Amino acid sequence: MSAAMAANLGNALGEFVILEAGDERGEFAGLLLAGMGAEVIRLEPADGAASRKFGPFTDDRSGPERSLHFWRYNLNKKSVLLDVDDPAANPAFEQIAAIADVIIDSGTARDIARRLEVYRRMRERNPRLIVCTITPFGLDGPYRDFAMTDLTQMAMGGIMAVCGYDPGVEGRYDTPPIRPAMWHAYHLASEYAALSITAALNFRDLTGEGQEIEVSIHEAVNTCTETSMPSFIYSGAIVKRQTARHAAPSPTGPWLRLSADNVWVNAIIAPTDREFRALVRLLDHHGVAHDLDTPEYADTTRRGKGKAMAHVSELIGKLVASKPAQEMFETAQALGLTWAPVRRPEDNLEDAHFRARGTFAAIENRELGRTVRVPASVATGNDGPHFSYTRGAPRLGEHTEEIFARARVAPRA
Amino acid sequence: MAETNGAGRRALSGVRVIDLTWLLAGPGGTRVLASLGAEVIRVECRDQRALDFLRYTPPFPRKQKADEAAPEEVSMLGGNPVTNGVNRSGLFNNINPGKFGITLNLNNPKGREILKRLVAKANVICENFSPERMAQWGLAYENLREVNPSIIYVQTTGTGRAGVYHDYGGYGPTAQALSGLTTMSGLPEPRPPAGWGYSYLDHSPGYYSSMLVMAAVMRQRKTGAGCYIDLSQSEVGIMLTGTATLDYQVNGRSFERPGNRMPYADWAPHGAYPCRGDDEWIAIAVTDDAQWVALTAEMGSPAWSRQDRFASAGGRKANENELDREVAAWTASQDRYELMNRLQARGIAAGAVQKSIDRFTRDPQLRERGFFVKLGHSELGEWPVDGFPARLSASPAYVGGLTGRGAPMLGEDTERVYRDVLGIEGEELRSLMEEGAI
Repeated sequence: MSAAMAANLGNALGEFVILEAGDERGEFAGLLLAGMGAEVIRLEPADGAASRKFGPFTDDRSGPERSLHFWRYNLNKKSVLLDVDDPAANPAFEQIAAIADVIIDSGTARDIARRLEVYRRMRERNPRLIVCTITPFGLDGPYRDFAMTDLTQMAMGGIMAVCGYDPGVEGRYDTPPIRPAMWHAYHLASEYAALSITAALNFRDLTGEGQEIEVSIHEAVNTCTETSMPSFIYSGAIVKRQTARHAAPSPTGPWLRLSADNVWVNAIIAPTDREFRALVRLLDHHGVAHDLDTPEYADTTRRGKGKAMAHVSELIGKLVASKPAQEMFETAQALGLTWAPVRRPEDNLEDAHFRARGTFAAIENRELGRTVRVPASVATGNDGPHFSYTRGAPRLGEHTEEIFARARVAPRA
Repeated sequence: MAETNGAGRRALSGVRVIDLTWLLAGPGGTRVLASLGAEVIRVECRDQRALDFLRYTPPFPRKQKADEAAPEEVSMLGGNPVTNGVNRSGLFNNINPGKFGITLNLNNPKGREILKRLVAKANVICENFSPERMAQWGLAYENLREVNPSIIYVQTTGTGRAGVYHDYGGYGPTAQALSGLTTMSGLPEPRPPAGWGYSYLDHSPGYYSSMLVMAAVMRQRKTGAGCYIDLSQSEVGIMLTGTATLDYQVNGRSFERPGNRMPYADWAPHGAYPCRGDDEWIAIAVTDDAQWVALTAEMGSPAWSRQDRFASAGGRKANENELDREVAAWTASQDRYELMNRLQARGIAAGAVQKSIDRFTRDPQLRERGFFVKLGHSELGEWPVDGFPARLSASPAYVGGLTGRGAPMLGEDTERVYRDVLGIEGEELRSLMEEGAI
């Protein structure tokens, strides 16, 4: 590693070359690794990766260079025209694989299993190569070949069952379970793919060996359902979905409250004395009359039930309704409550905190002819590793010549 | 230390992590590191007032499998360390397997000195206290770097340590609200957001902290350099808002909650449809004409489905309300699993909306792949925990980590760790415990 790279871990994976085949299921993994500095080369068939057909589009007109989805999920990457399903392209593919540290591929298990034969040959020639596949259910098992989308993965994986709205009268649901938008099944699988690849690079550091990594989207979603599974396993309870708060075995009070300027505020309170005292201070601060300093409310367990709970809840509603959301956010936080306004994603573009942290990167979109700001960072710090994006997505095949020349691929007749 | 994870084929072999994390946002990341073979030492305070309250948060094991759970045992985030004990939470067990557990009191000056000695012998330290807590103790990165210049320090907070909200607190739902993820989930206005039914942004940040740590460990191994990582749960959420801010900037469109529909393509039907039973649903996603033809065939080609307006993807999307009503009427009397299998046989993306009971008891895929991993817990006995969703052929992940156990009991490994890592044992250990430092 060069001295410059050692000094700046924004380029933490700067020495690695990653080939990324496959579809929308694995693109976020490539994006994360590219953000940590890896050179990620997207391999695309002649008509482009599938996600070039996903909206939203620039000016709402479709076209391979107009997909904002593709643009967002392929920042910093390069694009090489190479159809991994075309046997005639295999020699070129193998040449390029020889300069690669990692191959990522995503798609149906059937497609991946076929391509894996090629990857295994590459691994025989280059045992340091790491191959990571991302498929709906992994490469074996009875559901292996089920057709899936993000929606059906969120359904089967257990996230959807715990998200949605409070039941209606008599505890009966009049709304369906909701899959939180957008693409979180693929986000989860890709996060596990990226972290597993980073682990495999560590292992290669120690041993010189590459390996195969197999990510199951179904299992990735299953690992991220929190209380629902332990509740069942330990106490036999099945949690029930509730509006914008934790699904629970029995109903709990609401968290979302409308502010004076009609913005929802997440007014969450943990059942601790510390937070209850903070609530009392906040009520006092905003001049909302209350009786919460009476002995009836002194005990955590007692005030978390029945009439006491309902009364506290009513006061919180009144409090939030008395002020604009941003003011409620700032005063609640200052007094020790972890409340926050329910913002639209674009609200954060102008937020001073996220501006100061460089949460969004301004990146030129060549089709638009101007820069747009993209979510680009989850961490900052003293030259620690972080994500950094400087280039928009590649045009289809933009880097074919460059990469072919580097890998010494003979021009095809 | 002793290990039970096979022949030592571990990605993070030799990596020691001092784990000061609590609740979920921090422990999720160190869970990943433990699964990949790091030696994770969970450091906790014995003082009840400073205890991770997840330790006494339900659910707790029933005494008999057939027992009904007591109502107070299933309420959310309730709990009492005296009546519930501090080692019995299933939630705690699920998020902390594979870790060693020791006690240490950072409110005690000697405790803080001992932490520095531990840091001197570690590769990584992780914490997710209130943003300014470690600095108040004189244990910020700047202080710890003095005892170990190579240390990798990860601080996870709701909004991030640097910036205007530097002292703001946050749980997962706080970050979800702020980032935009809450408002993106749910049915369109005038319905409120449905948000998330759990702390998504307590879990995802762990994947990022572990990823960043592993990148940093590679550099540490080569150059000895350490670093500080200021991870923001809200920024993780913003990262996951996908194209919403782009659509806003480029097309002037604010994200409109799509329910279960697909906002960016003419995929319809695309939703959850009721099935036979109490609150049972199936998710169906038709993404092209061939699947639509297959779906109508499965429905027996009813007259409504043959109308011209449903013939094209654009037509189905334009008439989605009507389409959803008809599909729902058809699914309502059917068994969701039978229907899923029939639709899958025709190549249509369909999946039962699975609850915990379904995933645990009747998902043949999870069972055949051994997703749930049974681990012994020193007080609770053997319980299944969520597995690791990636198979690594050469350095397999194992959620039992180096301990081969579920979560540690409070201070379970105090003696062993202090002896093996710092050489503190016997009388010295006893007196440090008596004076409340350990």
